[in-house]
Amino acid sequence: MHGVKRVQYSQAALEAKKQRDHDKLKAYLALSDDVIARKSHDMSNEAFELTTRLLRMNPEFYTVWNYRRDMFIESLFPQRSPSEVNELLSDDLSLTFELLKQHPKVYGIWNHRRWCLEHIPDGPSPDDVNGYRNSTWNKELFVVEKMLDADARNFHAWNYRRYILATMPFPPPPKSELAYTTRKIEANFSNFSAWHQRSKVLTTLWETGELDRVKSIEEEFELVRNAMYTDPDDQSVWIYHAWLIGNGNYAARLQFEITSIQELLDEQPDSKWCMESLVRYKRLLIEKHAENLGDKKALVDSCLELLAKLRDIDPPRRRRYDEIAEGIRSGNEMQ
Amino acid sequence: MTSSSQLLIPLHVRYIQSLGEDDLTYHLTAHLRMNAVYWGLTALCIMDHKDALSKDETIEYVMSCWVDEAGAFGPHPDHDPHLLPTLSAIQILVIHDALDRIDVPRVTKFILSLQQPSGVFAGDQFGEIDTRFLYSAVNALSLLDQLHQLDVEKTVSYIKQCKNFDGGFGAVIGAESHAAQVWVCTAALAILDRLDVIDQDTLAWWLAERQLPNGGLNGRPQKLEDVCYSFWVLSSLSVLRKVSWIDADKLTSFILSAQDTENGGIADRPGDLPDVFHTIFGVAGLSLLGYPGLVDIDPVYCMPANLIESKGLRKGWEALPRKAS
Repeated sequence: MHGVKRVQYSQAALEAKKQRDHDKLKAYLALSDDVIARKSHDMSNEAFELTTRLLRMNPEFYTVWNYRRDMFIESLFPQRSPSEVNELLSDDLSLTFELLKQHPKVYGIWNHRRWCLEHIPDGPSPDDVNGYRNSTWNKELFVVEKMLDADARNFHAWNYRRYILATMPFPPPPKSELAYTTRKIEANFSNFSAWHQRSKVLTTLWETGELDRVKSIEEEFELVRNAMYTDPDDQSVWIYHAWLIGNGNYAARLQFEITSIQELLDEQPDSKWCMESLVRYKRLLIEKHAENLGDKKALVDSCLELLAKLRDIDPPRRRRYDEIAEGIRSGNEMQ
Repeated sequence: MTSSSQLLIPLHVRYIQSLGEDDLTYHLTAHLRMNAVYWGLTALCIMDHKDALSKDETIEYVMSCWVDEAGAFGPHPDHDPHLLPTLSAIQILVIHDALDRIDVPRVTKFILSLQQPSGVFAGDQFGEIDTRFLYSAVNALSLLDQLHQLDVEKTVSYIKQCKNFDGGFGAVIGAESHAAQVWVCTAALAILDRLDVIDQDTLAWWLAERQLPNGGLNGRPQKLEDVCYSFWVLSSLSVLRKVSWIDADKLTSFILSAQDTENGGIADRPGDLPDVFHTIFGVAGLSLLGYPGLVDIDPVYCMPANLIESKGLRKGWEALPRKAS
């Protein structure tokens, strides 16, 4: 269990709570025992309703979701028309949406939603076999947007979003997903989940050639610079920036970023992330562009000075800074 | 509330022994009972009180969860079989040297049947996929000495595709890096001798940045500290041999401050209700940090280290040396 505070109860309050819990437990066990006793053979509507009641009390009870799905397949669907099947599934999509609002991180609820989507029947007619599917899948983006508005870091919701985009019959184009990540990032620069999604969408757009990689990366550096200056302590931005730099093969870009970050450090002299990034990029300069460097020693000294400062302002990670400094000093980077 | 600068072992042993007294939370979590038994037993082993729970009753419980039609275990009698309780069952039986109770060929068949064409594993026939299940399969097959039946290339290729721009790994291809998923991927790669897949400097950096000013570790950027990450993050760092990249003293203090000093057990953070999940991962974290008086834990298997070593399964990893006192 996560995030449940310990509460100090008075003796009277403790007794009252124990009684309430005891009553709840009795009711829950009676229902649970009943459902479990039925699951090997009872596919009736009555049993179905009991699973609804039980899942509302405990949506993590995956064996009961399994039983519910078995009932759909073995008895509820076979008796019904496509339109009725579609309606049953719509009801379960509503049920799971309701449960997700109270239990947004329960795997079993998200799983059942996917199962429902994957079992939508052909229809409504022989010349519109995908009508039900299209209409239902199109609504899913709306559902997942609501979930991400409630908690922009919910990884279940982000994974579900990626699943919908990959599976829906007529997905919006990748550029529209890029715009979605822009909206999420502009709403909150600390949204690492949105930066992560952006890294995936951009990679796809570069691979398909839909976006020119070089021009796109330049625009990304501008976006990131804005975010850096707004909140220099936000690690999301710096980790993303390191990804944009990549292997550091472009000396001009390295120099430009180093200058820019140094300017920020001048304004924010205790910024750990400025220092960490300067060390990272100066090391890349030394490693990759040694022959073009004017004063290599100055770069090395600068790194060592920054690392000494980092030890002081970020003590938990001092062993890492020491190891990097040792590596620089031992001349590994001066080949 | 008394502050705690020590691990209150006898209190936590009694806490674990007392679990299962009739309360609502206990019954609402029947779907993970097998996991809970494994968490409690492993915590007892690391605190050197393995015999605090009855071996025979535990084995009897495990076997009462066997689902013969499937050749696998559920989490509780009459619950459906699944890969996660199957792994926990195997781990419990290995700890109690009772692996002979298992029909190895049938369980192996169940596990292998869950591998998808992409290389990931599903948890059961309903098809949910997750790198947690990939790790469970690799760990289980390894303990059953059936790893030679696994298509290693296919399995490793899936993990490779889960690698993200920050060096970490997610639950599925495309998913955000999360410390628990980092651990399952790292540990699976360790078992399969494929740590070459990892960008070790980048990942160790991302992991080290999980430590917050209060000494606790979080699971992703900008999230709250939580004792369970003391294991997920720390064990991943152990495999990468970079445990020194976080502050051990601050983390130790954080874990100790999350103890329930009245009723025993460890919570996700100070002031919250304890549970057996955070108890094992807090104790395991302390063991990796060299806390005195604890037994060594293997960070790849999350089981007693000498047991894993005796089975010839120890991989390259490095925890902090055990302090004398």
